[in-house]
Amino acid sequence: MEKKLNLELKTYEENKQNLLNSDRSKFVLIKGDAIIGTYDTYDDAIKVGIDKFSNKSFLVKQILEVEPTGNFTSNLIKIVSPCLQ
Amino acid sequence: MPSVTISSPDLYKEGPILEVHFLIPLELEKKLKEEGKEIPSPVIVKSLIDTGASNCVVKKEIPEQLRLEPTGVIKINTPSSKEHECYQYFMRMVIPTHGLIYQGPFIGAPLDGQEISGLMGRDLLKHSILIYIGYNNQFTLSMA
Repeated sequence: MEKKLNLELKTYEENKQNLLNSDRSKFVLIKGDAIIGTYDTYDDAIKVGIDKFSNKSFLVKQILEVEPTGNFTSNLIKIVSPCLQ
Repeated sequence: MPSVTISSPDLYKEGPILEVHFLIPLELEKKLKEEGKEIPSPVIVKSLIDTGASNCVVKKEIPEQLRLEPTGVIKINTPSSKEHECYQYFMRMVIPTHGLIYQGPFIGAPLDGQEISGLMGRDLLKHSILIYIGYNNQFTLSMA
């Protein structure tokens, strides 16, 4: 079974350089292989996504050269198997 | 500014824990109502305020219970893993008795033990005031 958002992430990678040139630091909304638009805030992109696609999956991603990571110091998060399914 | 103050005799052992309600985002609730679809019931769990967490986290099962689809993927670093990919979900967290509402991205990840099903990280705290009075076994969270 294909992972959720696989196609959207592929679309982002294929268009990343163009997006960096035109809309660096903005938030892009992607559904399938289509770039729906870029927005100034995360919330704006999410709201358009919900309006267009309701509770179907879509990708909102900040257009950045280097991907940010989440960092956690406590041991509460136990990674024993892949989270993406 | 809505706020909640909790007194706990075991604050030192347990940490600042709150009972919170997780719901679908307000915009999605409105959309589902327009479409005549059923609104998932809130999921009520215990959540820890964690200044060591850069982002908010929920147990993977919670967005599934709310029938939410992911809106992003993020790599996370923990003491036991590096650059592990997890889904992010746009969710609403509410403390209804005190009028506290936060809507934003939550990472779906496995959380282990202590009946904690959520971490309230620094992405939430950047909109908040957290007062921790250790000698009084009390903390207060206020959110804009």
